[in-house]
Amino acid sequence: MNFLLATIILPIVGALAVAVIPREQTRAIKLVALGSSIITLIGSLLILTKYKFGTSGLQLVESYKWVKAFNVNFAIGIDGLALVLILLTTVLVPIVIIGGWNESENGRWSVKTFYVLLLILEVFMVGVFAATDIFVFYIIFEVMLIPVYFLIGGYGRGDRAAAALKFLLYSLFGGLLMLAAIIGLFVVGLKQNIGSFDLTTLSHLQISHGVQNWLFLGFFIAFAIKAPLFPFHTWLPTAARSATPGTSILVLGVMDKVGTYGMIRFCLNLFPDASKTFAPYIITLALISIIYGAFLAIGQKEITSLIAFTSISHFGFIILGIFAMTSQGLTGATFYMVNHGFSTAALFLVGGWMMERRKSETISDFGGLQRITPVMAWMFFIAGMSTLALPGLSSFVSEFLVLVGTFTRYPLAAIIGTTGIVLAALYVLLLVQRALHGPLQPGNEETPDLNIREKVAIAPVVVALVFLGFYPKPVLHVVTPATNQVMTQVSVSDPTPMAGK
Amino acid sequence: MFTTPTLDYNLLAPILIVLGGALLGVLVEGFWGKAQRANVQLVVALLTIAASLGWIIKIHNAPQSQSAAIDSVSIDQGGLFLQGTILVLSFLALLFFSQNDHFAPQASALPGSDEEATALRSGIQMTEIYPLTLFAISGMLLFPVAHDLVTLFVALEVLSIPLYIITGLARRRRLLSQEAALKYFLLGAYSSAFFLFGAAFIYGYDGSLSLGDLRTAVNTPGTNHIFLLIGILFVSVGLLFKVGAVPFHSWTPDVYQGAPTPVTGFMAACTKVAAFGAMFRIFIIGFGPLQNEWRPVFIAVAILTMVGGAIAVVVQTDIKRALAFSSITHAGFLLTAVIALSKASYTAMLFYLVAYGVATIGAFGIVTLVRDGSGEVNDINRWAGLAKKSPGIATAFAVFLMSFGGIPLTAGFVAKFGLFTAAYATGNTALLVVGVLSSAVALFFYLRIVLIMFFKEPTDDTVTVEQPGALVTAGVLVCFLATIAIGVYPNLLYVLADKMTNLVS
Amino acid sequence: MRTDSHLVYLIALPLFSAALLLLLGRIADKWGHLLATLVSATAFGFGVSEFISMHKQAGDSRAVTQKLFEWISVGSFKVDASLLLDQLSICFVLLITGVGTLIHIYSIAYMEHDKDRRRFFAYLNLFIAAMLLLVLGNSYLNLYVGWEGVGLASYLLIGFWNHNPAYAVAAKKAFVANRIGDVGLSLAIMICFTQFGDVTFAGVKAGAPHASPAALTAIGAMLLLAAAGKSAQFPLQSWLGDAMAGPTPVSALIHAATMVTAGVYLITRSNFIFDASSTARVMVVVVGAITLLFGAIVGTAKDDIKKALAASTMSQIGYMILATGLGPVGYAFAIMHLLTHGFFKAGMFLGAGSVMHGMDDEVNMRKYGGLAKFMPITAVTFGLGYLAILGVPPFAGFYSKDKIIETAFNQGGAKGVILGGAALLGAAVTAFYMTRVVVLTFSGAKRWKDDAHPHESSFLMWAPMAVLAIGSVASGFLLSKGSALVHWLQPVVNAGQVSDGKELMKPIVVSLLALGLVIIGAGFAIAKYRVVPDVAPDNVSVFTRAARKDLFQDDFNDAVLVRPGKVLTAGLVATDYWFIDGIVRLVAGTIREISDVLRKVQTGYVRSYALIMFVGVFIGALILWVVTA
Repeated sequence: MNFLLATIILPIVGALAVAVIPREQTRAIKLVALGSSIITLIGSLLILTKYKFGTSGLQLVESYKWVKAFNVNFAIGIDGLALVLILLTTVLVPIVIIGGWNESENGRWSVKTFYVLLLILEVFMVGVFAATDIFVFYIIFEVMLIPVYFLIGGYGRGDRAAAALKFLLYSLFGGLLMLAAIIGLFVVGLKQNIGSFDLTTLSHLQISHGVQNWLFLGFFIAFAIKAPLFPFHTWLPTAARSATPGTSILVLGVMDKVGTYGMIRFCLNLFPDASKTFAPYIITLALISIIYGAFLAIGQKEITSLIAFTSISHFGFIILGIFAMTSQGLTGATFYMVNHGFSTAALFLVGGWMMERRKSETISDFGGLQRITPVMAWMFFIAGMSTLALPGLSSFVSEFLVLVGTFTRYPLAAIIGTTGIVLAALYVLLLVQRALHGPLQPGNEETPDLNIREKVAIAPVVVALVFLGFYPKPVLHVVTPATNQVMTQVSVSDPTPMAGK
Repeated sequence: MFTTPTLDYNLLAPILIVLGGALLGVLVEGFWGKAQRANVQLVVALLTIAASLGWIIKIHNAPQSQSAAIDSVSIDQGGLFLQGTILVLSFLALLFFSQNDHFAPQASALPGSDEEATALRSGIQMTEIYPLTLFAISGMLLFPVAHDLVTLFVALEVLSIPLYIITGLARRRRLLSQEAALKYFLLGAYSSAFFLFGAAFIYGYDGSLSLGDLRTAVNTPGTNHIFLLIGILFVSVGLLFKVGAVPFHSWTPDVYQGAPTPVTGFMAACTKVAAFGAMFRIFIIGFGPLQNEWRPVFIAVAILTMVGGAIAVVVQTDIKRALAFSSITHAGFLLTAVIALSKASYTAMLFYLVAYGVATIGAFGIVTLVRDGSGEVNDINRWAGLAKKSPGIATAFAVFLMSFGGIPLTAGFVAKFGLFTAAYATGNTALLVVGVLSSAVALFFYLRIVLIMFFKEPTDDTVTVEQPGALVTAGVLVCFLATIAIGVYPNLLYVLADKMTNLVS
Repeated sequence: MRTDSHLVYLIALPLFSAALLLLLGRIADKWGHLLATLVSATAFGFGVSEFISMHKQAGDSRAVTQKLFEWISVGSFKVDASLLLDQLSICFVLLITGVGTLIHIYSIAYMEHDKDRRRFFAYLNLFIAAMLLLVLGNSYLNLYVGWEGVGLASYLLIGFWNHNPAYAVAAKKAFVANRIGDVGLSLAIMICFTQFGDVTFAGVKAGAPHASPAALTAIGAMLLLAAAGKSAQFPLQSWLGDAMAGPTPVSALIHAATMVTAGVYLITRSNFIFDASSTARVMVVVVGAITLLFGAIVGTAKDDIKKALAASTMSQIGYMILATGLGPVGYAFAIMHLLTHGFFKAGMFLGAGSVMHGMDDEVNMRKYGGLAKFMPITAVTFGLGYLAILGVPPFAGFYSKDKIIETAFNQGGAKGVILGGAALLGAAVTAFYMTRVVVLTFSGAKRWKDDAHPHESSFLMWAPMAVLAIGSVASGFLLSKGSALVHWLQPVVNAGQVSDGKELMKPIVVSLLALGLVIIGAGFAIAKYRVVPDVAPDNVSVFTRAARKDLFQDDFNDAVLVRPGKVLTAGLVATDYWFIDGIVRLVAGTIREISDVLRKVQTGYVRSYALIMFVGVFIGALILWVVTA
């Protein structure tokens, strides 16, 4: 059987199961939701048994006729790129459920609704990476916003409704631009008698430069909003400030990756020439994101928006790596997506617990936690270290790959990018200093340290960060074939050493 | 020299059945006891429509006939599809007519007059609305199959005049309602004049009223070409008025707001189907060869309509006015099909009309349910927290809005995709881009309503959701399921639409 | 090259014991410190055995390697986790584990009353592990891991008492300053990869001859930047003084003996780069010369005993950096000074710690005085270190420092004179401020309050001091006997001849000159500090003021980096809200405005509607006319 399809379907089953439980039995609901997410995780791990490692191209392919009028097929399949992101998703969801065990309570609606939405979201998140038919991809790309919209607006904090609306409008706007581009692409295909949305088929299209540029922009802006890239980022801090930590983890950790994933999968694959044309400008924007995001992170007063801006900085790195178009850059960027998923998860988990305990998200309200709650403080510190890409943690490997990969083609860009290393140290250590060090702030005296549940939630994340830091091979080994294929498609190759031996 | 007319009753039957039903309704209105009259009228109307629809299904494979009635009516499969659509939508719309309390007890009585008061007290309920509606439907059925300009005009009037009347039948806010009726009538007459004027010009050009002859004439450009163009322009004005395209749209918000909500739903859905069907056929049969001349005007109108509707909707606070503007935007989208004037665009248009129709009727149907002590609540802000009061209704309404907005997995998305694809396939990049952007703007409004319903705390407890009767529930449910089903699995409808257009060259 | 499958334990042991102590938590409080010390001692023992087995081999076949696993392999960027133990790294292994163990022992007593002693020892082990990885990595990237690892350990230990805001800030400052250096290191690695397609020492060494001078200079400059960050060299020196916030044993181990000397290691390790680029060498010597004077001058005005020693460390490392810039022969002397300095400076720091221990953690030397009779052992060990750093024969410093001064002069020409002169001057100032420290602390009248009860520290504390004192006495002689170290390192740094003929003046002259200046400096200090006010006088020369304020290093950083940075941050935050997000709001707003206008057009009057229609028709007609005409 196709475990990929199973991985997509299992959460639906879970959602249905949750739906039939009476809303009062919140505990049962949570357990069922958790159970189904874990089963989904197992399902996704079983993919590995069928996956042929070290080979490029799509695997576990499956296709069903859908919209005959436009020859749309519900076609799924994965390569290394999609595989790691799907695994990231299926790993994070149970962690989010365990870590945010209580965040479904005192929402606008029932606990039940929360988990139904969450599991539906998981379906889409897995599906969006598995889809190999652009039409299907687009549909999921758009529809996955809806559960998030309700998760933020229904269970968030502060001005959640406005935040949810801003988030949705931004994304839908991008989506519509992509829709225009997709229609354009489809019509181009029709003119060449290739009426298809199949990714592989379309990648063989002959598209004139002018058209390519427009279509590229249509896709790219949509992804740049999703990622988010400066200057399309302003929805993210607002959303992060209002969403529950768990939701933020899924939004920043997984959903935003659809943007960077799409840049590789669609922009580079379908419009190689346009990608090369725009690369310099995009790299510029990426660099701005890195530095701009870092400075704004330094300037934040709330934990949530600080994390959001650090992410903007990190997405800058990812996009830099993608458009450097070297094997190190692309692989590094992909690995970066995974690591960013984990470190953001760690930050939001612990940050969420801190805010839950303190009933505040203002950094200055914390302080001195190091002595009151050592374990929590340590976890937060490790998360921070991973955010500043400390060697020995996985994020270092990816960040360095991105930089070195960029340097071989755009030395100046890489040099500017390295300032991000220093700024990262600043915003992380400032946060650590204000939140964990210094004298104990009034109101924190009674703060309890992490309980078992919370430890269980954070442990796998930390383990992943450390293990992949010392032994990234498992991921790199899976990703490299995919990125190499992208490079052949774009017809670029790594620069050779200057000083011949 | 006088020849006996040959009428193909088999093909005309759908129209005739509806006319017959209308006449029957008149008799019922006259002679049936008032106790059960309303229900009887409803049953008659529904059965009539059902019968007519059944007949269409029976003949849907019949070979097309240029001359169902001496060359003045031509039934082809596209026409049948349109008629079928009109009938289905009317059927759904009529389900909401079952809430009699939307209609004036005695239309003839002056607002606020003693007679009205007595009528109210004695619980009189005139039900002339049913036969009138049936007459309108018969006109709509004729409109898209008419094959000469006179028949076209007759059909236009037959569908319009009853609408003018039933617009004025609202029970509450009668003055507003009657004002709307009057406006509709005056402007309708104005536009009809244009239409007639245009017809005259065209006759002057080629000495025939038949679309068939017109085509041949157009293909062989004669001397005073300009009369033809003016003719086309003026005829178009009549049609563009009916579909509510900018700048001929001004009546739409006022009328939609003033008319009894069930009627608004009926108008918004069915009139558009009929008018667009007719427009497409006139242009593809009659004016096709002159595309390059009239297309620029239409592109301008389409863009104005899409953008204008989308932007105007943003600040609306009255749900009915808002939906009116949103319907204008959709008219703009649909115009792109006429501009593209291809088989693909015809299919896309038919599909779009169905998707738009069910969502519209469903949406207005729900508007009829949200009430306070003094009747419907149309102020959007008072809908705050509707999701708490009635999750099902709120969800359904949200889905209809999503469909309007073209969110995937609703009928609206597939429809919009098909439409824009067809439009762009004929090289209209501008229309594609404008269309996409105006959808974005319109989305802002749709999402705001969703936000109000779901994320705002209920402010006003007097606002409640009326417990709908069986028929109304069925109506909403069907529209809801149809919107989802068509969105998730569009094949059946699309294939059907595609099949029914295979006659268009 | 020989392989040795045991090298990894050198790092793994302390690493795991650190992890263990941190994970077990309070359970390990009882025995944590013992385990840590044991592990450190074991590592030292292992290092010694490695040294012995190495010694048996012939010069060129002494190095051993161990490939652990393939770490990163993407495209042509292949980096293994591999270790390399050669003549250079063994010196450091012994220094780190040796001094490290002594300081572990010392800390057992020193941290006895701190409830977080276990955590402290965990950090110490973590540091040992990271530092060993730094010196054992066989590629720049492996080194980088250790490089930031020691930075982390240093951060944790400086901020060990981070509930004190000042200490927390100091820790952060150290980390950030180091990160600036790390940027240099990572850029150097990137250049290496683009140039040579390889980041292992061997690979880069092989490629260096083929690289363009510009590239080599760039790499050299970046490595120097890295060294400046880690070794508190100008212009990244400002963090070291504040780093004294950490417990004194930490200052001794990390901020005197080992970590801060990593920069010297890096440059020495990269000799093939610097040998190939004279420009890079010039940069190195300039930085070294500036720093050795800078540190020395700052040292003259510090009343905080630890900060005085810190300044001295900065200055001494300046000597080492200077030496590494003096060409092949310099490396060996740099390392030699590094080792001797490791002994005497660590010794003196531990001495300072012992004094503070006896004086209720008082660090202001103006509140000391005449302590020699209360803590004789401390005084003696400190004194021996003092003689060593002054370079008084036959103490350790004499052998190492004079060689550097000599080599500096031997550069010849103006360069030689300037560098040699700077080094000499530095020696004189060193003599002054070290004498000042000794006088203020151990001799003269008591200036402490009566509630202080100075007393000699326990055996566990003075024993390590004693051992280090012995090192301060003997190490120099042993290392330079028959140029032992020079020959030992020869295969790594191909030091060639000990002195390459062209001498500006005979070694003996240099030594005498140096000795003379030292005596003058010392004498001046003794004369000046016969009486010491227990509060620092304000009526002092502008130079003293400057020195007290670390030559305005912090004010400079504040003015040039911190304050502009804050302004920039605030500005960007505003920009984000008012401009970037403002545009979005503007678009939305404009649409609303237009929408409002449209609403007004919708007057409700049939006449206006009719007019609109008519105008529409008219315009339509115009368009038709335009199109057809």
